[in-house]
Amino acid sequence: MLSFVIEVNNLSKTFPDGTEALKNVTVTIPDGDFVAIIGLSGAGKSTFLRCLNRLVEPTQGEIRAHGTDVISLRGRALQRYRRTIGFIFQQFNLVTRLSVIENVLSGRLGYHATWRGVLGLYTERDVELARHYIDRVGLNEKEQTRVDQLSGGQQQRVAIARAMTQEPQLILADEPMASLDPRLSDVILGLLKDYNEEHGVTVLVNIHVLELAKRYAKRILAFNKGELVFDGPVEALSDTLEGEIYTGSLEAL
Amino acid sequence: MLIYTLVGAGLALLLGLANSSMRRLMIAGSVGLIITFFTLPFGQVSGFLSRETVRPTLFGFLPIYPLFSLILVAALLSLAISLRGRRIGGTASLTAGLTTLILALSWAERPTSLASLLPLYGLMEAVTGIAATAIIVGISWGIPRARLPGLLIGIALGTTIFFGLTSNSGQAIFPKTPGYYKLLTSTPSGTETSIIESYNSGLEELNRQRRSIGLNLLEPITTITGLEGQRIPREAAEAGFRLVEPNRTAYGTTVTFLLIGLMVGGGLMAIWRPRLQDRADLSTGTLLAIIICTLTPAFAATNFSFNRLVEGWPFLLDFLDRAWPPNVGALQEVASQMLITIEIALVGTFLAAVFAVPLSFLASRNLTFGNPLMRAVFGLTRGFFNLDRGIDTLILALVFVAAVGLGPFAGVLAMAIHSIADLGKVYSESIENVDRGPIEALEAVGASGTNVVRWAILPQVGPLFIAWTLYRFEINFRVSIVLGLVGAGGIGFFIQEKMGTGTYNQMIVAILAIILVVNIIDFASSWLRGRLV
Ligand SMILES: Nc1ncnc2c1ncn2[C@@H]1O[C@H](COP(=O)(O)OP(=O)(O)O)[C@@H](O)[C@H]1O
Ligand SMILES: [Mg+2]
Repeated sequence: MLSFVIEVNNLSKTFPDGTEALKNVTVTIPDGDFVAIIGLSGAGKSTFLRCLNRLVEPTQGEIRAHGTDVISLRGRALQRYRRTIGFIFQQFNLVTRLSVIENVLSGRLGYHATWRGVLGLYTERDVELARHYIDRVGLNEKEQTRVDQLSGGQQQRVAIARAMTQEPQLILADEPMASLDPRLSDVILGLLKDYNEEHGVTVLVNIHVLELAKRYAKRILAFNKGELVFDGPVEALSDTLEGEIYTGSLEAL
Repeated sequence: MLIYTLVGAGLALLLGLANSSMRRLMIAGSVGLIITFFTLPFGQVSGFLSRETVRPTLFGFLPIYPLFSLILVAALLSLAISLRGRRIGGTASLTAGLTTLILALSWAERPTSLASLLPLYGLMEAVTGIAATAIIVGISWGIPRARLPGLLIGIALGTTIFFGLTSNSGQAIFPKTPGYYKLLTSTPSGTETSIIESYNSGLEELNRQRRSIGLNLLEPITTITGLEGQRIPREAAEAGFRLVEPNRTAYGTTVTFLLIGLMVGGGLMAIWRPRLQDRADLSTGTLLAIIICTLTPAFAATNFSFNRLVEGWPFLLDFLDRAWPPNVGALQEVASQMLITIEIALVGTFLAAVFAVPLSFLASRNLTFGNPLMRAVFGLTRGFFNLDRGIDTLILALVFVAAVGLGPFAGVLAMAIHSIADLGKVYSESIENVDRGPIEALEAVGASGTNVVRWAILPQVGPLFIAWTLYRFEINFRVSIVLGLVGAGGIGFFIQEKMGTGTYNQMIVAILAIILVVNIIDFASSWLRGRLV
């Protein structure tokens, strides 16, 4: 697999209403890392992740993913880029009227011509992959069940299977446990961690529970008011720094 | 007319016994009387042509019957004093009510007379201008940013209208419109005699003609009263004279007598039980007055008449008598016509849905923002929907019957075209309300726009589309019945035919069949819709 280094340079995002969600963020994420992004609510964590796959258009700066200039991508090229990135949402964002397998298969839509997708003509390999990952997240009995019959934790696992079925080179997860029972956090993060270790795929997770971030991540990025205020290995995060990140009283380092 | 006073008083009595506020009724009476005095027609004065008839207000009659000013004074005093409530308020209301009653009755006793019209220049012009301003300001007031521009545009429009109407060309047309405010003034001395003379002089010639076709002869008249129930000579009418017959009433007269009842009844009750009053009496009373003063003209405009209902009763009984027992032999024909009606509804609804689905995507705000071209398409589609929704199926059907001839095809076309807009609008509202999450998720997966619509939006809106289409079918089935009446065929046409030939016992079979099928379709459709959503 190609190395998937992400280089972010001077990235800024100002929303039309004037909110400065990101200010001059510069960071490089090497291939295969498991990175936790921490920070108060409103610090810009989601905006950062969404910029990486262009769900949000940055106002300024540069993003390169293994050499490609991400910001100039348009149309088909943008779709090709996006299919290599699995995105996991806090609210799962599944099509609840469809079955588990239909949702998971939709992860393959980026690989086919539009007409095939519209008709739902997936290849045998697509179905194999989908089955494999449904199995992987422990839902093999629920393959044909409609998603709205599932619990929140099961739904998030469907969303994870959809992302994995993309055969991504990068996984972005935006607070994937925040709408779930806290006891399920380990299940979700465990799945991501295993995938990271087995496939060497980079995973970026927004986590607002610091304790979990420290347990799973090798590396931590901390945001405060749109600025990247910490970037380093977990061990480098001192208690005082933690305190400051979580009281929002931090100036950029 | 006195019956209305009794109705008003009876109402007051009942409300009083139910411990409702009497002060409210007294205020409603006085305020209503003031409104009526200036705005509602109190009588009809005729000219030569029927369109020359003018309906002046109490204020309009003031110059020829100055005593009417007492009504206004009484109403104002009664309002001021009844606001204080208690026995004194009741007494004031009672006195004002009785004064008005006496004046209204004495007016009706006056003999027929002649008066000349005096248009009140400027008044209606100003009212129209102010109304236009008020409408614009009212619309824009809800949006804070639009307030100032709304105010400026409103004032500009109002002034333009005012000056347009008061300009020379405006004055050439506007004062001739029926609602233009006119007063009646007494005629210069000698007018009556000259009108009587001109009437009598033409009489000989007129009677010769009447005799030749066998009509009874007209007597010469000596006073203007002799013209009662007739028209005044054309020249006199053109010179602005009108015949005032005080016993001819208008709906304002009804309102006046009703309000008198409220004032008298409310006043008496208030004297008897002075504590019947509420805090919000002024606003609720005014509201009541406004309701009375707008509802009565509406009833008058629809020719509402209990008398006619009573007169028509025997015909209704006759109809039922001839309709019963139903002619079972018509069953076969009814069934096949009913089938046509259902088929018109089916095809019309189906065609509409086929066109409405793609259009609804273009008419959804959330799918068209961002791209200026798509925004323009959005505006066009929405505009078409709004225009089309405004044209009723029945009107479209009349047009299509003229274009493609009588028969179900015209009905189907009309129904399909009207339903496109109706369905398109509800479809696009469903699309606008979809959960954005799945759309975002599929965009993130790298799916193309078409696939996002197919896999994120369609699964969400599909069941809603079907439910709306079923609901539309329910409505269209009923529309389809009525379409038959304008010649689109089916059960409606059958009914019209049997009505025409008076074979009511066949018609009743169709009516019973409609009741049955409407209920079956509604039941089946709502059961299906319930399972879908
Ligand atoms: N679509 C948007 N429009 C305007 N402001 C937004 C939008 N999305 C997020 N923001 C603002 O940007 C800031 C960062 O938000 P976000 O990235 O969601 O923070 P986090 O995920 O760390 O809680 C917040 O102040 C938020 O209110
Ligand atoms: Mg967030």
